[in-house]
Amino acid sequence: MAIVGVAALTATFKLLNAHINAATVALAFLLVVLFVATWWGARPAVIASVLSVLCFNFFFLPPFGTLTVEAPDNWIALLAFLITAITVGQLSANAKRRTEEAEAGRQEIERLYQELRDAFERASHAEALRQSEKLKSALLDAVTHDIRTPLTSIKASVSTLLETPGKTTMEKGVGLDAEERQEMLQVIDEECDRLDRFVEGLIELARIEAGEMHLRRSWGTIDEILAAAFARAEPLTRHHQMRINLSDEMPVVQVDPRAVSEVVFTLVDNAAKYSPAGSTIVVTAEPADNGFLEVAVESAGEGIPVELRERVFDKFFRATRDGDTSDVRQPKGSGMGLAVAKGIVEAHGGRIWIENGREGRATRVAFTLLMDDPIAQPYSTSTSDSSKAATF
Amino acid sequence: MNDQARILVVDDEPQIARVIRTGLKTHGYDVRVAADGVSALETFDDWHPDLVLTDLSMPNLDGLQLCQRLRALSQLPIIILSVRGEEKMKVEALDAGADDYVTKPFGMDELLARIRAQLRRLSATPKRETSSHVLQVGDFRIDLEARSVIVKESEVHLTPKEYDLLVHFVQNAGKVLTHHALLSAVWGGNYTEQGEYLRVFVGQLRKKIEPTPSAPRYILTEPWVGYRFNPDS
Repeated sequence: MAIVGVAALTATFKLLNAHINAATVALAFLLVVLFVATWWGARPAVIASVLSVLCFNFFFLPPFGTLTVEAPDNWIALLAFLITAITVGQLSANAKRRTEEAEAGRQEIERLYQELRDAFERASHAEALRQSEKLKSALLDAVTHDIRTPLTSIKASVSTLLETPGKTTMEKGVGLDAEERQEMLQVIDEECDRLDRFVEGLIELARIEAGEMHLRRSWGTIDEILAAAFARAEPLTRHHQMRINLSDEMPVVQVDPRAVSEVVFTLVDNAAKYSPAGSTIVVTAEPADNGFLEVAVESAGEGIPVELRERVFDKFFRATRDGDTSDVRQPKGSGMGLAVAKGIVEAHGGRIWIENGREGRATRVAFTLLMDDPIAQPYSTSTSDSSKAATF
Repeated sequence: MNDQARILVVDDEPQIARVIRTGLKTHGYDVRVAADGVSALETFDDWHPDLVLTDLSMPNLDGLQLCQRLRALSQLPIIILSVRGEEKMKVEALDAGADDYVTKPFGMDELLARIRAQLRRLSATPKRETSSHVLQVGDFRIDLEARSVIVKESEVHLTPKEYDLLVHFVQNAGKVLTHHALLSAVWGGNYTEQGEYLRVFVGQLRKKIEPTPSAPRYILTEPWVGYRFNPDS
């Protein structure tokens, strides 16, 4: 290209005849060198410079048609032209090379960044998968334990009843007396109920997770719902003082009364399980901001550490087993009650949380229900579909 | 001994503890219940039970730690009650000194059989006869000095490793021995992961001592855990 460029320029000037000033020709040659250097780099620029000098000398410096130079000042001009051409060529080529290098560097950085991002994505995907597998196996362990424990009591009782001959209380030796038989049967009865509750909890959870919980909303007052929950919890709260604080003017709410009663029951049951006998459980219901009604259950006891307050709503999580195991004799729940309660509250458009209790009580579990028109809430479509509604 | 044997039941599930207590009492055992490892150790100190029956997952001191603590104090038989899915912990507990395990849910007859076997083992630990170098238990008689083995009146010729393995089995008759424990006792600590050694030698030993090696009666396999040696065919 250097040769072609120089030849084309020489021919052009030659055709335009020799009246053109030698300085103009020299500048034009410099331009060619500059272009060659910019587009094709240092080596073609050097070739273009030398060719330009030769052509300039041969065609445009007297005597024309030879490579000899007559006037000494023309020698200087020619030398100056050569040096300028080469320098310009080199500078321009360097600039081009640097630009190219910078571009290549930028592309390399982009490529590395992309690779890194892909690697991170792959790693986080693998980590998420691993976590999910870990969670699954933890859930399976929890379910296994919760089913096998009552099954163990049942199986041991039944096998004792089947294999041990009966005896009257007067007899001596091996055998079960009437009282012991009764005890075994009682254990079987209780443990069957426990299994049933567990299965019921699993089904409710599955329903909530599948988004298939249908609420049977009806108009009612919160004190009716609370009364139903307290009646059910009565056998569990016999060793506690119950105190109910209801605001004087309770609004009517349109909720699923059985579902909300289940939430209150769960909270009261937990309060009774995890607070010392003889302590007071306080249940409060009062209007809150933005058209919500707030129901809270407060209890004494050790409370739930702040870092576990979110996790206790995860299914199968039990603070006393999976978190801190500070007290030996704390009873175990199924690890589903609060998860189900959360599902019910959220289906009603409310929220549920744990905070420090008032007046020095350790734990306050509160939830909100929207008092306004429930038609605007998610899940509300089910109110018109009561024929298919699942029961609570 | 059976009539008045004292059994300490350790389980944090009150219903299970209740059933086991009643079930064992009706068979003439003296039973006490503890809800966790710490109170189990307290009861152990006061009451000196003949056997401990313990759950694995318990608050405070779990079954595994309880085994270690009890083993440091006494050689009494310990039976583990475990839910399937706790295999790893069960094996650890056996390695920590437990003698046997029963998987939940279990039938009372199975539990009673295991208890009887352990109590029998306690009263019939291999006797060192007349001279101190003869081990006699069930159908087996081993002369430790002459390194001779007699099974049901007939002499059996064993290789040195087979002999070591059999001696370890006889000394721990009735007890569940984990793969790890057997490898460590017979081959030494460096071989505890070489389960195939054990399988090969148990196979050879069975061919030499079992009447029907394919249906062993002396060296019983405990699936995924180890072996148990039963000295009476």
